[in-house]
Amino acid sequence: MIAFCDGIVTIGQSCGVMVHAMVIPAPLRPMTAMAPMTDSVIQTPATTAVAVEDVDFCYGSSRVLKNVNLAIEANKVTAFIGPSGCGKSTLLRCLNRMNDEIPGARITKGRICLRGEDIYGLRVDVVKLRSEVGMVFQKSNVFPRSIFENVAYGLQVRGERNAAVIRQRVEEALRQSALWDEVKDRLHESGLSLSGGQQQRLCIARAIAVKPNVVLMDEPCSALDPIATLKVEELLWELRSSYTFIVVTHSMQQASRISDRTAFFYMGEVVEYDLTSKMFTNPREKRTEEYISGRFG
Amino acid sequence: MNGPHIFRDFDNAIRTLKDEVLLMASLTRQNLERAMRSLLDRDIELSRVVIGDDSDVDDLEIRVDQTGMEILVRHHPVASDLRLVISSMKISTCLERISDHAVNIAKRSKKICRGPELPDVALVEPLYVMADNLLRDAMISFTDQNVALAEGLKARDKELDRLHKTLIASLSERLEHPEGKSESLLHLIFVIRSLERVGDLAVNIGEDAVFLGSAQDIRHATKKASKASESDGSE
Repeated sequence: MIAFCDGIVTIGQSCGVMVHAMVIPAPLRPMTAMAPMTDSVIQTPATTAVAVEDVDFCYGSSRVLKNVNLAIEANKVTAFIGPSGCGKSTLLRCLNRMNDEIPGARITKGRICLRGEDIYGLRVDVVKLRSEVGMVFQKSNVFPRSIFENVAYGLQVRGERNAAVIRQRVEEALRQSALWDEVKDRLHESGLSLSGGQQQRLCIARAIAVKPNVVLMDEPCSALDPIATLKVEELLWELRSSYTFIVVTHSMQQASRISDRTAFFYMGEVVEYDLTSKMFTNPREKRTEEYISGRFG
Repeated sequence: MNGPHIFRDFDNAIRTLKDEVLLMASLTRQNLERAMRSLLDRDIELSRVVIGDDSDVDDLEIRVDQTGMEILVRHHPVASDLRLVISSMKISTCLERISDHAVNIAKRSKKICRGPELPDVALVEPLYVMADNLLRDAMISFTDQNVALAEGLKARDKELDRLHKTLIASLSERLEHPEGKSESLLHLIFVIRSLERVGDLAVNIGEDAVFLGSAQDIRHATKKASKASESDGSE
């Protein structure tokens, strides 16, 4: 076990900041019974999983997010769309403080609350935050370990010693990720032996194995073929009753297929945030209409 | 009005779709006008032209559907582009039906022209003018995305309905003393019925124009409003 964890730490170091979000697990507890990360809880509507309030964000002197306000609904899929450099991935990384690792990168105004708690508060345990806000990346980052170990890793690092509990949770996560039937007979083969689509679903299984509240996804299907993409999308649709998904995507079709709400970003601002069905049939803002219909960007 | 699309072929496809709908509307109005002229001028040859030309409108309906489907499949339009494709396909169906009514009028006209002179046909002209004006303005509201003009069509159609009822009552009365023209009078009643339907279809086109311009679905709005007031009253 120690050797296994050491190995993962090495892998984690090689992955830089990404590993914090992915592999530091949360204590297993029902969402409703979640303990606050600090005692400074701010009241937000019960349906709001993440509240972004008047946020400015800077890389050095460059202000890349400007007065961003968003109330991300719990147990829904929210899509962030916008041209490259508009700030959508920056905001995504702010939601589990991954930008903390970048020198000079900081929130200069506003606050971000996870279930009422300011995640940039002084007493926030960042490791714990990152376990409650999981992340899946554009390119699947499967560890060079077995399929089972990839999913079990977070539970083991968290301190779970009961093998039966681990086995049960691994199976559950693989089933939820629609991967169980494909891998149940080869759980101890390398995760790297899976296809690209399967590897991405394995990453989703790993992220949800520790039961996070929010799962962030940064272009999760951009490297996948259309069928693998649909499988991941189907997965999100199925899992959204249990988790809050926030997905950055460059595919308008994907955003319109999978999300309940869409936020359109442009030059660091949220131009429009509305129901996806409304946004793609009758957007309020001219800039949104021009972007989603392919007239600028 | 939207600016140019980054992928120019999309703009070409949208332009083609609009052109096809406008050509269809132009041919439909022409068919309706010729059908009425064949009736008023007792011109059997012209009614034959109307019946023959209807296939052009039918072909255009199919082309509009094909173009619309191709845009949906290839370009995945959203927002006002999506509404344009949907409303164009629906409007083409209405136009095809209007052209069918023009054919009905032409067929009745042929039969009336073969019978004795029927001065009552002149009564129908004001109804035709109202129906054609509705159709013209419905198409203007579509091309100009003039929501206000489109929303006014329903009230204007009610005037047409009133005239339709008056004419039906008048011709029914005439049928009591047909003077050997009962068959022609019955054909004329069917002509009046067709013109009333043209008014309804123009209103439908106006509803599609409202959907295009403002994304509002105003179909069956009166029924919905009366249902809502009924349920308010029962509380």
